[in-house]
Amino acid sequence: MRVDAYDKVTGKALYGADRVLPGMAFAALALAKIGRGRVSGVDTSAALAVPGVLLVETKFDLASPGFLMGGGFGFQSLQPMTDDHIAYRGQPIAIVVAETPVAATEAAEAITAEYEEEPFALHLDSEGATTLVQEEAIPLPFLADIKVGDADAVIDSCAVRIEETFEHPPQHAVPMELNGGVVWWQDDRLIVHEGTQNANAVRFGLAQQLGIDAELIEVHSPYVGGGFGQKNSLLVHIGPLAVVSRRLGRPVKLVLARTQTFHNGSFRPATKHRIRLGADATGRILAAVHEVDQQTSRHDLFIAGHTEVTSRLYGFSAFRGRQRLVQTDVQTPGYMRAPFESPSMFAFEQAVDELAHTVGRDPVQLRLDNDTETDPVTGLPFSSRHVGDCLRRGAELFGWSGRNPEPGSMRAEDGSLVGWGVAIGNYPGSIVAANATLTASADGRVTVAVDGHEMGQGIRSTVALLVARDLGIPVADVTVQVGDTTVGTQHLTAGSWGTATALPAVHSGLQELRKHLNVADTGDVDVASAVADAGHAVQVSVGSLGPGQTADALAQTNTGHLAISGPVFPGFVTFSWIAHFVEVHVEPTTCRIRVPRVVSVADCGRVASPVTAASQVRGGVIWGIGAALREESMVDDRVGGFLNTTLEEYPVMVNADVHRIDVDFIDKPDYQFNPVGVKGLGEVSMVGAAAAVANAVHHATGRRHHRLPIRIEHVL
Amino acid sequence: MKPFAYTAPSSVDAVVEALRVAQPGTKILAGGTTLYDLMKLGVEAPSAVIDVHRLPELTGISVTDSELVLGAGVRMADVSDHPVIRPSYTALAESIWRAASQQLRNMATLGGNLLQRTRCGYFRDADMPCNKRNPGSGCAAMEGVDRPHALLGASSLCSATYAGDFAIALLAFDAVVDVVGPRGERSIPLAELHVEPGEDPRREHVLDVDELIVRIRVPLTEAGRGSTYLKIRDRESYAFALASAAVGLVIDGAGIVTESRIALGGVATRPWRAVEAEQSLLGQPLTAAAARRAGEIAFAAARPGRTNEFRIELGIRTVADAVRTAGERAVR
Repeated sequence: MRVDAYDKVTGKALYGADRVLPGMAFAALALAKIGRGRVSGVDTSAALAVPGVLLVETKFDLASPGFLMGGGFGFQSLQPMTDDHIAYRGQPIAIVVAETPVAATEAAEAITAEYEEEPFALHLDSEGATTLVQEEAIPLPFLADIKVGDADAVIDSCAVRIEETFEHPPQHAVPMELNGGVVWWQDDRLIVHEGTQNANAVRFGLAQQLGIDAELIEVHSPYVGGGFGQKNSLLVHIGPLAVVSRRLGRPVKLVLARTQTFHNGSFRPATKHRIRLGADATGRILAAVHEVDQQTSRHDLFIAGHTEVTSRLYGFSAFRGRQRLVQTDVQTPGYMRAPFESPSMFAFEQAVDELAHTVGRDPVQLRLDNDTETDPVTGLPFSSRHVGDCLRRGAELFGWSGRNPEPGSMRAEDGSLVGWGVAIGNYPGSIVAANATLTASADGRVTVAVDGHEMGQGIRSTVALLVARDLGIPVADVTVQVGDTTVGTQHLTAGSWGTATALPAVHSGLQELRKHLNVADTGDVDVASAVADAGHAVQVSVGSLGPGQTADALAQTNTGHLAISGPVFPGFVTFSWIAHFVEVHVEPTTCRIRVPRVVSVADCGRVASPVTAASQVRGGVIWGIGAALREESMVDDRVGGFLNTTLEEYPVMVNADVHRIDVDFIDKPDYQFNPVGVKGLGEVSMVGAAAAVANAVHHATGRRHHRLPIRIEHVL
Repeated sequence: MKPFAYTAPSSVDAVVEALRVAQPGTKILAGGTTLYDLMKLGVEAPSAVIDVHRLPELTGISVTDSELVLGAGVRMADVSDHPVIRPSYTALAESIWRAASQQLRNMATLGGNLLQRTRCGYFRDADMPCNKRNPGSGCAAMEGVDRPHALLGASSLCSATYAGDFAIALLAFDAVVDVVGPRGERSIPLAELHVEPGEDPRREHVLDVDELIVRIRVPLTEAGRGSTYLKIRDRESYAFALASAAVGLVIDGAGIVTESRIALGGVATRPWRAVEAEQSLLGQPLTAAAARRAGEIAFAAARPGRTNEFRIELGIRTVADAVRTAGERAVR
């Protein structure tokens, strides 16, 4: 059940840039064409001569929005067009506003610039790239090296040692909805209509950039056409739009070209993973080391969170995790679905597969043998961990017992090499501070305004379902408002905390509403008659917190900041879990790799909305296959920036690449985590999928691939 | 967008007249799937376009005793499902439905598709040096990302791949294009339509600027039934070929190959006929070894760049697979 499906497929749903206003003007950006340096002059004369051009601006008096992960609001701290510094190819150098988008685009293309070029570094191993140890660069406890026991010494003493290095390329999210929005002023009030996962940061970031009170800013993000982390904060085009809109006294719309989104928004940074495993002869893992180098920009330290998940994967008695940040000349990278977890698991779960192969154990059984109920890092119990059930049920659904363990031993009817691979994945459980306002009306309808954003995951459906079930009213009688700063704070929706945050807030609001409606704590409610008895519409507002959070967290989100709790809570630790089983076929001669079927079984606590949950998992699996076999953001070291900046050249999966994907859930509520019993799902869906594909390719061909994507040339 | 003059003449005669008096920089517009795209990228900037996409004279598919006749304005989507083309020219139908996406095939015309420009990323980025787009500026691909670039027919100035699929199948079937212009009508064998970059990468075909393709004629051949178009690419739809092969075979009752047609796509600077590879199959039974040898002969002259050597072996295997598939269909 999807409450907004009809609106979406009929085009009735208004996405960020769909807003059309009288007198609206259109903007376009001109971008830097060097890899790094200074812009010594911008020639705008040809742009100004284009008929219909209203304004060309190259310099803005805008404060830095601050970097989201540094206590600020922006995807990066660097606000382009505030000085002559060019940090990366594709950085905006001018904005044009015109009567039509065609004129704006033509004028932007007519802008030329003189540069003083400087050498630049794009790769982890480029000359000029600067490597920092994360715990030294950012001395915060949750970013420190993880040290449990003396992992290196234990590994050195082990009978079986696996040592492998894996490389993961940079990738871009390329959501269908392009970055962009509509900005206008009503007197001194600034209104932004933009597809964002973080209306709160857009609002407070603009207040900081413009030096105005956040009370004067409202942000509307009714639907996000795919965010995947790229829309998790204030992007660099919105501040300049607000300035030019005020100057012109008109609404201004900007939609970035697809090619421009590859440099004006975050991306998944390149990483390199060194994995060491020490085990006994039966494959019991005694210790592990995971060392990561992750790309960041020169101007921000995008934190690395890879070892947080790998250190929890199995019952290690010793573990060492170290993360380093490599500064390169790019825009600041960021969170792209399962940002650390997917690359980490690609590396770590391949090493585990190699261990199973080395000791001659079945890879499912070896994983079950290394399961644990206790978090190796903190010694606390997991609030719920059903990854063993995921493995057992997945193996049964997949028919794993029919697998011949010998690589290269299985064949399809057409002669293709058949490989069966497995991998597990985990993702930290988080809950953020949230506000919810519920209103019961005389007509029996209930309106719920809750912090959250609809980015395709179906948050309106999930909330409506909870309210309808709780009160015993039809889903059609529930209206859900999200992504709107005029009805809530709209904390960032990301990190798979959307459902685990919104539902407890609404749950708490429902309890409050029942009190004010003067009805029983449970059971069906005749809302219309309860409202009639009250004599007026009944409205309640509640704030809700993650386990162990204090009211300070609400104050944080109410001022635009992040207020995240987890995955370590007082007395327990929470992660979501998944197991993926993948079949690949490698064609006998031309060696195309196909994925005819996948079985994925997830432990996300209680399944709040079965239809949208299964869809989330399929999407994650599809992306995992794409990561394993196709996606890579390429660079040309001579020019800087990213090269394959179109949907044609950046090969996201297409329908013809997608075959059978069976999804199942353990569906056991985690009431320790929250009273609704739900855990996150969106991101764990993808974690381990690429690893399972790579393990299946190894099973098919006998070759272990240490770098993604695995393309035809690597198996030919 | 740069301003341009737009006309939509109502007949082929009127188009010819418009071409006769056209100013320099005039382009013919049909489906618009390449021209508009390149105009948005700043690669094409025509001073005028002559729109032919509504001309009824350019539409229609007919079959005579001796040939298949395709109007240049026929949409790609109309060919792939055609009841005669599918069984009788299987490689033609397959080359079309494996091209682009359904949305593009609904718009793109056959005539336009034949002259589709290269997908070289450096050609399509107006900021990059490119001898094809900006003569004398150099070739960014030579020392750059050259994974998709041509292995056959490149020059020291350009190795941009001819990206189309349909022309590869047409070439295998000895198709002919009929063109009109102010000097009248002429016919050009498809094998002579496209040219290698040589010393002038700007020039991609032999049409004069004032000529219009009006139809494509494909001789009837028994090899049409025993044919296939095999396209290997990075994903299963909406991607250009890393290597492709159109193969048509006739095999007699004794199992001997009596007619052989092989053309290569995605690997050369123009549609590439592999004549010696064809001949290697004639007069003998079709075996796996013979198919492989045909592939090896087809790529004997291949010259890889920095990162695309794997496509030689891939191309050989693509030809071998296509030969085997065509052989199975030929004896069916």
